[in-house]
Amino acid sequence: MKIKITHSTTYKYSSTVPRLIQCLKLYPSICDNQEILNWETSSSNGKIIESHFDGLGHRVQNIFIKNFSGHLKITSKGMLKTKDLSGVVKGLKEKVNPLCFLRETHLTKPCKRIEKISDQAKKNNKNLIEFAHKLNLTVSNSINYVTGSTTTSTSSRDALKQKKGVCQDFAHILISAARFNNLPARYINGFLLEETGSGENTTHAWVEIFINDLGWVAFDPSHKKCIDEKYVRISTGYDFVDASTIKGVKTNYDGDELLESTVSIENCQ
Amino acid sequence: MYNEVYKNSKVRKFYNQIYDWAKSLPENVIVKKKNEAENLFKKIGITFSVYNNFDSTERLIPFDMFPRIISSIEWKKIKKGVIQRALAINAFLNDIYNSGEIIKAKLIPENLIYKNPAYEIKMIGFKVPKRIYSPIIGSDIVRINENIFKVLEDNCRTPSGVSYMIENREIMMRMFPELFEKLKIETVENYPSYLLDALKSLAPKKCNKEPKVVILTPGSLNSAYYEHSFLADLMGVELVQGTDLFVDESITYMKTTRGPEKVDIIYRRIDDKFLDPITFDSSSLIGIPGLFDSYKSGNVNICSAPGSGIADDKAIYSYIPEIIKFYLGEEPILDNVKTWRCCEEDAKKYVLNNLNKLVVKEVHGSGGYGLLIGSKSSKKEIEIFRKKILLNPANYIAQPILELSSVPIFDKKKLSPRHVDLRPFCLVGAKKTKLVDGGLTRVALNQGSLVVNSSQGGGVKDTWILNE
Amino acid sequence: MLSRTAENLFWSARYIERADSLARLLEVGYRISLIPNTEKGYTNEWESILETSGIKNEYLKKYKTISKEKIIFYLLFDPENSSSVKNCIKTARENIRMVRTAVTLEVWNAVNSSYHELDKNLKETKNILKELPEIIEWIKKQVNLIRGTILNTQLINDGYDFLILGTYFERADFTARIINVKYFILLPSINYVGSDIDNFQWSLMLRSISSFRAFKWAYGGQEITYTKIIDFLILNMTCPRSLIFSIEKINHHLGRLSKFYKQTSTSNKKIGLMYKKIKNLNANKITEIGLHEFLKSFIEEINYVYKKFEQKYFFGVET
Repeated sequence: MKIKITHSTTYKYSSTVPRLIQCLKLYPSICDNQEILNWETSSSNGKIIESHFDGLGHRVQNIFIKNFSGHLKITSKGMLKTKDLSGVVKGLKEKVNPLCFLRETHLTKPCKRIEKISDQAKKNNKNLIEFAHKLNLTVSNSINYVTGSTTTSTSSRDALKQKKGVCQDFAHILISAARFNNLPARYINGFLLEETGSGENTTHAWVEIFINDLGWVAFDPSHKKCIDEKYVRISTGYDFVDASTIKGVKTNYDGDELLESTVSIENCQ
Repeated sequence: MYNEVYKNSKVRKFYNQIYDWAKSLPENVIVKKKNEAENLFKKIGITFSVYNNFDSTERLIPFDMFPRIISSIEWKKIKKGVIQRALAINAFLNDIYNSGEIIKAKLIPENLIYKNPAYEIKMIGFKVPKRIYSPIIGSDIVRINENIFKVLEDNCRTPSGVSYMIENREIMMRMFPELFEKLKIETVENYPSYLLDALKSLAPKKCNKEPKVVILTPGSLNSAYYEHSFLADLMGVELVQGTDLFVDESITYMKTTRGPEKVDIIYRRIDDKFLDPITFDSSSLIGIPGLFDSYKSGNVNICSAPGSGIADDKAIYSYIPEIIKFYLGEEPILDNVKTWRCCEEDAKKYVLNNLNKLVVKEVHGSGGYGLLIGSKSSKKEIEIFRKKILLNPANYIAQPILELSSVPIFDKKKLSPRHVDLRPFCLVGAKKTKLVDGGLTRVALNQGSLVVNSSQGGGVKDTWILNE
Repeated sequence: MLSRTAENLFWSARYIERADSLARLLEVGYRISLIPNTEKGYTNEWESILETSGIKNEYLKKYKTISKEKIIFYLLFDPENSSSVKNCIKTARENIRMVRTAVTLEVWNAVNSSYHELDKNLKETKNILKELPEIIEWIKKQVNLIRGTILNTQLINDGYDFLILGTYFERADFTARIINVKYFILLPSINYVGSDIDNFQWSLMLRSISSFRAFKWAYGGQEITYTKIIDFLILNMTCPRSLIFSIEKINHHLGRLSKFYKQTSTSNKKIGLMYKKIKNLNANKITEIGLHEFLKSFIEEINYVYKKFEQKYFFGVET
């Protein structure tokens, strides 16, 4: 499937920012599930400087700006050819051992409710992959999808407690539950082509769980399934914060920052 | 208990002169000299034009005037052993952040590395300048008897205490110059210039002139600030805080009154997680945004490398003999202390059955905290630790209770033996690995105590390596 | 030199000068308190002291009423008042402590022991009003000791310039503010001219910048008049507390920095202009412009110079 994506993030500053650094991980992952036909990132101000490829395969870039005021728009766009590999992510260019993704983070710390979820999913499984599927389903049913019900600092515990959340929270809960059962799991940022007709799109988040013999398998707990050719993978990390695609730091700035994001995802087949 | 001064109840020949001297000091002179030493510490802090005094919270780890002596033969072995460990530790770090041969060879369980929070995944695959991760290693060495020295732990991140090594010598030379005429003692004053040389040899890829070195401190409230300013002063480099540095287009600069000045090598005395709020802890106020990017782009070197701490993790420590054999193909010159890893079933059983005879340590603890000394603990304390071990066995190791060797101190007015350890500082440069002939002797001032940490009643002594 | 080092040196000197100014203000207050409390102008003095030091609102928030003892305590020791003498000396010490290696041992000892002795004084003070003269004397002595030590022991390098600049930026600001707060006294009013109250107020003002004797010498013991005071406090190069003197010093030391670093900045140009302008003024011209207007624009201009200086040397972001 051919998918065309345009994703812009606009930052608005209320006064002059003396020094601003934006660190970008905006290039789609290189793997067998997706072929990058073309892709570019651009910024309305400041030069984009190539930094390095990190151990997880991210192409890291930076923007450095001094004495900036007004709007800063960062855009990434391009075309990909995707394949449905039944959720298995193949051919990733990464050097990190999966066991590293067993570590707990603040956002994904397990709790009693996580324990309950994993107990429920544990019954009558032939193998690990079946267990992982069931875990995904159980997590899917553990909270309700309610837009705007959580914030960027909501942990899996918080989301479970209030019984609602967005894709980020579904992902955190699944990560907590998988790691609790000694399965390496990680957070994925990306895009999902949703042909709803409304034309409104957002970025999406899901989870990869490492299954011996299969490798990394991608589950989407907000949609109760594994990923297919409608998913485009961008970045990964321990959790939402670690995986974030743009990280910015402002030095000596005491004004406000407003953020706006637009996404367009089109099926070009 | 092994007293380093004696052999077969006779004073060993190295100690002859010192012992006679110490014995000959009248009580009132001892008291007078003690005060003099105290005052000199204040003044020396001054001649080094660093910090001083009126705020006694700063320095004043108690100093004892009776020197600890190590013969040149003993020292040669320690020196070789410490250098061997330092090289092996750097080879190990280079390996686990790249191909991981030692794990593939199944010499170290993969869980111990990959699940360890000290293993920094952001360093994976990065080629650090000259492949040196940890240029300054302070190994804590204990003496068991006349012939055996063992390593209790290695400090690979930012070992501290070297300022005391230099200051203690300065004090002794001023107070008792006559002793230095009688005995030939190796000098330690070259340490700052050796350190500067070692750091300069680790220039990053994109540095084509004389490298600019700075020391990065968390600030004047840090307990080791005295040492940071002391070293900066003696090395003749700037002592900077995070806010003094900034990164622009991947290059690290220091703010000066002349304008931005490029920085090539940062000897950092702050923890990994505070280095860069973009890459590590985003709440860090003492870090430098973009520093990690500058590092990975080859524009600056961070010493020690982020993620070096995995090598001084207490669980990894127990594998150092294997690490030495694997990378250097040599037998360890200095032995480890026997260590039971509670993550192993048999070891755990043994530990739980013998808690009263062991020292139990938390794998990630330091500074003598998170520690149980079985023979000195109440039943209740032992039971608390038993529960902790059962709950999370991988978090604990155990070692036998060591009879550390002892050296006399001037206790009130008389000589009286106290337990000591030794921390030499090994400097690993691109081409040379060096050790000044000396180290920091820490002494447990309370009679019978085995804890030498300054935070828990420890003091320091001057350490003399004889040049025979 | 690290920007932070320069900044610490500058502020330590600035806070020491501020402590000195506060001590002199209190001295004036003390003199008044010795005079029978009959005339309205006198009781106002305490209020105007608060005003001059720019902390009246903070004081009233805490204490509600104007009281001698409270004001004295507030200005000298109150830990909640960030510009009390105690906090000034404490901040000066903190700043020097951060850059211990940039000053001589003698300077550090002078600052450090001042801080510790002040703390001791505070603890031993029983009757703050009675002991005020000694405390003031002590503060002035310490400040002179510190300043003398700087002059006699520091290398005359860029660090020295930052120290001196701290002193004169503060002094220029303080003198301008004290004249401004009291400018109404200086207005030649038919009712007041030649009256005792007039003379008394003017002499008080001279005292508050410790220039009473100096004035007498400079003007050969002549009678105090409005124009002479303006001339003395603003335009007389022999008066170390006059505005022109501070401007000359700032101009000189910014010039030295510019030569030293082989770089020029907007602050150099601006202070040069200020110096030229003030040199060509006389007391009558100032009266024509209006004393208040003159001072207002003076304060704005010197602040602008400071902003540019700070951006260049401390923040490294001059635009």
